[in-house]
Amino acid sequence: MSKNHLIGVFDDENALMAALHEVKAKGFEIWEVFTPYPMHEVIEAMGKKTRFTFAAFIYGFLGAAGVLAFMYYTAVIDWPINYGGKPTNAFPSFIVVTVVITILTVTLASLFTFSLRAKIYPGKAYILPDKRSTDDMFVMVFDKSVAKNAGSNLEDILREKGAIEVYEKELVTEI
Amino acid sequence: MYKSEVRGPLILGDKNYRQISSDIIAPIDQPIPTWWKAVFGISMLAFLFGLVAIYKTVVEGIGTWGVNNSVGWGWEIINFVWWIGIGHAGTAFSIFLLILRQKWRTSINRAAEAMTVVAVMAAALFPALHMGRVWLAFYIFPYPNTRGPLWVNFNSPLFWDFIAISAYLLISASFWYFGMVPDFATIRDKATSKIKKAVYGFFAFGWTGSSSEWLRYEALSYVLGGIAAVLVVSVHSIVSTDFAVSVIPGWHTTVFPPYFVVGAIFSGFAMVMTLMIIIRKIYKFQDYVTNSHLNAIAKILIFISLIMGTAYATEIFIAWYSGSKYEMFTFFKNRITGDYTFQFWAMVVCNAFIPQLFWFKKVRQNLTIAFIISIFINIGMWYERFNILITSLSKDYLPSSWVTYSPTWVEIGIYIGTIGMFIMGVLLFFKYIPMIAISEVKSVLKVTSLNKKEKIHASHE
Repeated sequence: MSKNHLIGVFDDENALMAALHEVKAKGFEIWEVFTPYPMHEVIEAMGKKTRFTFAAFIYGFLGAAGVLAFMYYTAVIDWPINYGGKPTNAFPSFIVVTVVITILTVTLASLFTFSLRAKIYPGKAYILPDKRSTDDMFVMVFDKSVAKNAGSNLEDILREKGAIEVYEKELVTEI
Repeated sequence: MYKSEVRGPLILGDKNYRQISSDIIAPIDQPIPTWWKAVFGISMLAFLFGLVAIYKTVVEGIGTWGVNNSVGWGWEIINFVWWIGIGHAGTAFSIFLLILRQKWRTSINRAAEAMTVVAVMAAALFPALHMGRVWLAFYIFPYPNTRGPLWVNFNSPLFWDFIAISAYLLISASFWYFGMVPDFATIRDKATSKIKKAVYGFFAFGWTGSSSEWLRYEALSYVLGGIAAVLVVSVHSIVSTDFAVSVIPGWHTTVFPPYFVVGAIFSGFAMVMTLMIIIRKIYKFQDYVTNSHLNAIAKILIFISLIMGTAYATEIFIAWYSGSKYEMFTFFKNRITGDYTFQFWAMVVCNAFIPQLFWFKKVRQNLTIAFIISIFINIGMWYERFNILITSLSKDYLPSSWVTYSPTWVEIGIYIGTIGMFIMGVLLFFKYIPMIAISEVKSVLKVTSLNKKEKIHASHE
C-alpha cells in the first residue's frame, strides 16, 4: 500500500454514485469508499460479497447439534433419572433449550466473525482518510499510483461528477 | 413513480446529514442539566433503598418476605414477569420492524433497546434472589461438578427460564452495542476534547464506515435480526411455562404462551411510548420522533389491547367450558368477584378498555393523554401479573390452606430499587449514548424526509 492517496469528497450520494460508475467504467481501481450510512449501491458497485449468512447457518447447525448431544449425554448417559417412568431422552422438553442456545451460538459466533472479518475490535488502529465521512460526506479514495497510470485524468472526472473537494493526502493510522 | 404516503415524513424540517449528527449528539456535548441531576439523585436513593432490602434478604433469607407456603411466589415473581415484559420492546421494535423493513423504527429502536437491557437486568435480579441462597446461584449452570456429577434438570421450565433470560440479556445487549458502533465513530470524529475522542474512539472499535465494513455490518444485522426474532416469541413463552405446566387453577391453560407474549409486547410498546414522549419533549427531538411515529405506536397498542381483551375473555370462557369447579372458582369467585375484584377489574380496564381510546385521532395526537394512557397500560400489566399469581395461589384446591398475601417492606423495597435502577440506567443512556441511531436515521433521510417529498412534488408540477 502506497502512502500517497487521492481523495474525492462528495456531499451527495447521487453524485458519489455517478462518479463511482464513471471511474469504474474508465478502469480505475478504487481503494475504498467511506459513507456515513450503509449504501447497498456502493457495496454492489465495489463488487464486494460476503458469505456471512452461510457462516451463520453453520454456527446454528453446530450449536443445535452440540447442545442436543450435550443434553443427551447428561440426561441419558451420564446421570439418567427416572421421572415417573418417562423416557430419559425427553426430546420434546429439550427443544426449548436447544432453540435458545442455538440462537445464542449464532449471535456470539457471528459477532466474533464480524469482529474478525470486518476488523472491528477494541483498540484497533484504523485509517480514516477524511473525518467528515462519518458525519455527512461521502469519500472515495484512490491509490495515487493508479491515478497516475491511467490515460484520463482522475481528478477531472471526480470534479466533473460533483466532488466538492479533491485532494491528495498521506494516509496515517490512528488509534 | 407514484409512492403512497400512508405514513407522514419520518424526519421533519429541512435537515441535512450534518444537522442530524449534531442534533442527536447535542445532549452528549452539553453540560449535565439540573433536572437530570435531581432525577438521578432521587432514583439513586430508590436504588439504595433497594440495596438495603436486598441486603436484608440475603443476610436473613426470604423469610423477610410476605410469601408463605400457599403463596410461594409473591411480588418478586410479579415484578420479574413485569420487567421482562417491558424488556420485550427492544427486540420487538428493532427486530420485528427490521425484518418487516419498517423504516419508522429508525428513530426509536435505540431507546427501546437501551430500555430492554436495563429492564432485563432488573428482571434477572428477582429469580436470583428468590433462590434464597443467592451465592449458590451458579449451581444452575450445567457444568461438570463434584456433586455427583449432578446435572441440572433440562425438563424443568425454571431451568429453561434461566437459559432464556440469560441468553436474552446477552443477545439484546450485543445487538444494542453493535448498532451503536458507527454512531460512536461519528462522536469520535466530531469530538473536540481529547478525552472524549479517546473514550468514544475506544468504544467505536476503530470503525471507519468503509464499504467493506458496511457490507458485513448489514449482513450481521440481518442475521442477528432474523435469528433473534425467535427470541421475541420464545422468552415470554418460556416464562409462561413456569406457570402453565403447574397444575394450579388459572395457570394450567394452553393459552398462556401467546397470552404472555402479547402481554409482554404490549407493556414493552407502552413503555417505549412513555419514554419517547419524554425524550422528544425534553431533548426537542420532535423532528425525529414525529407525531406520525407515536401515531404508529398508538395504533399497534389498540390492536394488541384487543388481543389482550380477547385473551381475558377466552380464559373466562374456557374456565366455564372446562366444567372444572376449581377453574370456575378461581375465575368467578376469586377474580371477577371476591377478594381480588379490584385487581382484576383494574387489569381489564387498564389493558382492554383504556387503550381503546386510541381509536380517536384526537387522543392519538394529544401527547399528554397518550402519555397517561401508556402509564395506565404499565399499571394494568402489573395488575395482570398480580392476578395470575396471587389469585391462583392464595385459594387453590384445599380451603384449609387458603391464605391472604401482603408484601413486606423488603419486597416493596426491592421493587422500588429496581425502578430506581431502571431510571438511573435510562438517564445514563440519555446523557452518554446517542439516543437515536444516527446512521440509521441518515439512511432514511433522503427516502422519506419532507425535503425530498417537496422536491418530488415540485418536479411533477
